Amino acid sequence: MSEEKLVLENVSKSFGEGENAVVVLNDLSLRVKAGELVAIVGPSGSGKSTFLSIAGALLSPSSGRVIIDGDEINKMSPGQMNSIRLKKIGFIFQSANLIPYLTVRDQLLLVTELEGNRNKEAKKRADDLLEKLGLAHRKHHYPESLSGGERQRVAIARAWMNNPEIIFADEPTASLDSERGRAVVQMLADEVKLRGKSAVMVTHDQRMLDLCDRVVWMEDGKLVESNSVQV
Amino acid sequence: MFLALRELKHAKLRYLLIGVIMVLIVWLVLFVSGLAKGLSSDNASAVQEMKGNYVVLQKEADQRLTRSVISANKTEDIQQLSGKKNAEPLGVMMTAVINEGKQKKIDASFFAISTSGFLAPNVIEGKMITDDAKHEAVADSSLKEEGVKLGDTIKDTASGKSFTIVGFTKNQSFSHAPVIHINLTEWKTIESTGAFNAVVLNMNDKKAHALQKKGSNIDVISKDEALKGIPGYQEEQGSLLMMIAFLFIIGAFVLAVFFYVMTLQKMNQFGVLKAIGAKTSYLARTILSQVVVLTLCSLAISIGLTYGVAAILPDSLPFYLDLSLIAGCSALFVAVSVLSSLLSLYRVAKVDAVEAIGRAV
Repeated sequence: MSEEKLVLENVSKSFGEGENAVVVLNDLSLRVKAGELVAIVGPSGSGKSTFLSIAGALLSPSSGRVIIDGDEINKMSPGQMNSIRLKKIGFIFQSANLIPYLTVRDQLLLVTELEGNRNKEAKKRADDLLEKLGLAHRKHHYPESLSGGERQRVAIARAWMNNPEIIFADEPTASLDSERGRAVVQMLADEVKLRGKSAVMVTHDQRMLDLCDRVVWMEDGKLVESNSVQV
Repeated sequence: MFLALRELKHAKLRYLLIGVIMVLIVWLVLFVSGLAKGLSSDNASAVQEMKGNYVVLQKEADQRLTRSVISANKTEDIQQLSGKKNAEPLGVMMTAVINEGKQKKIDASFFAISTSGFLAPNVIEGKMITDDAKHEAVADSSLKEEGVKLGDTIKDTASGKSFTIVGFTKNQSFSHAPVIHINLTEWKTIESTGAFNAVVLNMNDKKAHALQKKGSNIDVISKDEALKGIPGYQEEQGSLLMMIAFLFIIGAFVLAVFFYVMTLQKMNQFGVLKAIGAKTSYLARTILSQVVVLTLCSLAISIGLTYGVAAILPDSLPFYLDLSLIAGCSALFVAVSVLSSLLSLYRVAKVDAVEAIGRAV
């Protein structure tokens, strides 16, 4: 257990080689403590998605260090990164991205299935999570019959299923109206506090920022910390 | 299997459609295979069932049993070279017979053999003829369907000779006609020259090759090659075999295309799965188990359908399906379907988990 769940030090990422190289992230640093919900805000093209991919162990940086819960992942092989994602990271994607042919409960059980320990205890954990997020009555429904807000709540439940140290959310409110969007982010913030874990949310939805502990602005591949939550 | 079975259950219609196509293809494969085997046995079971592994034919006969002529002297030479016990003369004559007292001609083939040698067929009803029996013969039991009974007399329309049927044999047909076995004494009365068509050998490969070198103007060929020399045998089997081969290829392509399109449709989903920690091997196993489950179910249904149809087919239709043929076809089909999923597996391996980020789908 580390106090700082996510550390990025001087991380750069560029695509292409030589003269054609495009620098997407430029010497970027960030520290996220336990119990913190950090929002990353910026215009499109500022490198938010790349940032999320690198912090979320989906992509390796060109230079710099990425440490998740004490494990330095910037030198890991794709297979090791895979297992870090499975054990320590929870993802909430834009528009939920649930698997269409799994019921709500199976969406959660899938995570434990991938870990290779889908058992009684996992089933109980899934039921508890669904209960907590107000989805118990939807347990045996398929995503197609859920509302947008419900789907995003299932995605949150799925992200917590492996009891991760940190959650990455990619525009979780993009497909929701303001009221439902706030409810979803509130839920995320509450869970983070309660469990003493961390969350990083990439968003351009500025209505949600007051729910976050910290807001970081991103522009041209750099992060600018802002202590006030004013917009 | 977690994902595989749930997806099969959820997208029932899709997988049902592809399943039905598979069932039809496998059904046709099994049916044509059964027909090929049935026809082959109808055409040549007398040669297939024959003990012995090599056949000596006349050099000029182009490996065709019916064209070959081996004189009595030559036969003795060959028997001397290979040992009397290991070489038996065989006379073949395709003709038509009449069941005495009736008008209808029946196609039949006379096989002249030494009744005490290894070419003697097994008799399932009545008794076997002896080497010095006169006017006696044993016939394939399919002649019963033509109304021939034990003790009946049949008359060869070519030579005018009559024979009393004293026994029945099983699975003895040649060129789609039942075989009537007679002894060598009687052979001389219908074939005046006393020449035979072939000498059948029962010996190992080495000795057979040696005989080929020693003998003059003879062709020593294996039994399989001799089968091909039966009129129409190779053409019949060849065209059916080609159909079966094409069905396998069609089946492979149908499966490959179906799963490839399904995989392309699910690229984004695979990206999400990889992002939350699914390994490529896990996803590959999912696809493979879907392919195998689908193939096994289709096979089971098809085998059932094939047996069902076989049960209502008329007896005169040559259809023969045994377990080893079914097992062989099934194993080949599973192998083909697994092979056909490789294209999809390749695509899955190429999916990048990063694709899940920044996508609103």
